[in-house]
Amino acid sequence: MRKKLILFWAFLKRQYVYFRRYLFNSLGGMLTLYVVFLLILGGYKGLVAPAGTEGDTLEALVVGYVLWFFLMTSYQDVYNTVRNESLTGTLEQLYMSTHGFGWVMGANVAAAFLANLVMVALLLTAALWTSGAVVNIDVGGLLPVLVGTLFGPVAIGFAAAGLALVFKRIDSYTQMVQFVLIALVAVPAEKAFWLRLLPGSFGASLVRDIMIRGQSLLEIGLAKLVLLFLIGIGHLALGYGVYKVCEKRAMVWGMLGHY
Amino acid sequence: MVRVESLEKTYPGRRGAPPVKAVDRVSFQVPQGQLVGLLGPNGAGKTTIVKMMCGLIRPDAGQIFINGKDMVCRRTEALVDVSAVLEGNRNIYWRLTCRENLEFFAALKGRSPREIQPEIARYLDLFKLNDKADTEARKLSRGMQQKLATAVALIAQSRVVLLDEPTLGLDVQASLEIRELLKRIVQDEGRTVILTSHDMNVVQDTCERVIIINEGRIVADDSIEHLLDLFQVKVCRIVIGESLTPAQQQAIQALPQVLLEEENNGKIALTVPLEDAQVLHELFGILAANSTVICAIEQKQTSFERVFLEILGRSEHGA
Repeated sequence: MRKKLILFWAFLKRQYVYFRRYLFNSLGGMLTLYVVFLLILGGYKGLVAPAGTEGDTLEALVVGYVLWFFLMTSYQDVYNTVRNESLTGTLEQLYMSTHGFGWVMGANVAAAFLANLVMVALLLTAALWTSGAVVNIDVGGLLPVLVGTLFGPVAIGFAAAGLALVFKRIDSYTQMVQFVLIALVAVPAEKAFWLRLLPGSFGASLVRDIMIRGQSLLEIGLAKLVLLFLIGIGHLALGYGVYKVCEKRAMVWGMLGHY
Repeated sequence: MVRVESLEKTYPGRRGAPPVKAVDRVSFQVPQGQLVGLLGPNGAGKTTIVKMMCGLIRPDAGQIFINGKDMVCRRTEALVDVSAVLEGNRNIYWRLTCRENLEFFAALKGRSPREIQPEIARYLDLFKLNDKADTEARKLSRGMQQKLATAVALIAQSRVVLLDEPTLGLDVQASLEIRELLKRIVQDEGRTVILTSHDMNVVQDTCERVIIINEGRIVADDSIEHLLDLFQVKVCRIVIGESLTPAQQQAIQALPQVLLEEENNGKIALTVPLEDAQVLHELFGILAANSTVICAIEQKQTSFERVFLEILGRSEHGA
């Protein structure tokens, strides 16, 4: 466990170092997010892509955007890492880690999630303070649901990364993933059980329960939360399975680190 | 100890191309603390062998054991004892500093960056990167980047270090520095280092043993000294400062294996094998008969390059 923490800490530190090294770009990203929050808090709904499905209260709009933001970044953290490390020539070094590549990617995703969470929290607080708006969000209830929802896009990220290992340039296809994620979040998962099995849709439905119907985590119930995580783990197993099949193919063809 | 047994790899042909046999029944062992060179022309299969030893390419057949651990079946366990530089200076993060790179890659191998600060300082010192410790890798020269990549492979404290073309693209000085460092690491730390190269000088200067690979097969596996001895052509070159009489020329041409060449400066060079003393005696007799002036007698040395080409030539004829 200690070694896994060392790994997680290494990725977290790398996140921080990259933030500093690419400071201009990092500040640009932060500024964009801050402006988006200001616009949402000012009542502008056009930016909230998959939201609306979460209701049209101020809180729902904010949560809708944050959910969408984390879905996209979680997917990108997996796909872009594999793609970029392959491009720069360091992917094979990650593969030579004694932790195993799955753990390496897990630590990478967890570190990126934590970094994004801190950034979103800080910028939202700043936007609230600037605009003078007040929102009442059940963070304690939303956070576990958010984490459970992110397994889906991470799984899609693994599947896309696996395809990139084999087919190399697949960017024109992976750009479509963001539209797929919008569709998945908007799926009315409460209407049929099978719709809950789609990546991200059950989590988005639980977010709606919290934001529109005002339910607490207790009212949602442990069963639904467990189901959310089970579905998420299922997605992760499937996505990682696709990745492993592609990885095996790339290893047979001797093109794991090529791009 | 590294043990490679009957390793085979064929890359499937793609888009109608025929399959390529990259590695063909390759077997060898490398004991702890030896510096071995895998030498071969481009496309010989060296990189494929090294990547299979890192568990990055799946062999079709055969086994690889790193300190007794099976790299094919128990990859993660075996990786504890292996580190590698496969893409030269591309194996490091260019946006991280030397120190940050060393810390990050140590963590990938399960080592706490906090606990290995003395080691980081030692490697920075050994690789003369002290004053660049907090400089981003992208700002270093190619030679320094290559040194950093090698230091990154060493910080893992794995007992086997694999280096794919460690001096490729480096200038003479940087190449020499890397070679000296590798020798020092093997000598001081007792690690096993296997390096691939198509540069004869690098292998000759660094390695105590060389495995020559051609078309996926091992065509020689021996110490460089022994290979040089084996292929040493014992030849003597006699330079004459004046022209020979027709009778002398005729007599010399009648001698077996004696090569007569006229040089640009008007002198004549006679190349004679030393194995047959009788031929040498007869040649000197012909020259003495006319009191021909001899300017120089020199023994020709066989270079490792020539030995390598000879081995490759023989392997191709054999195939």
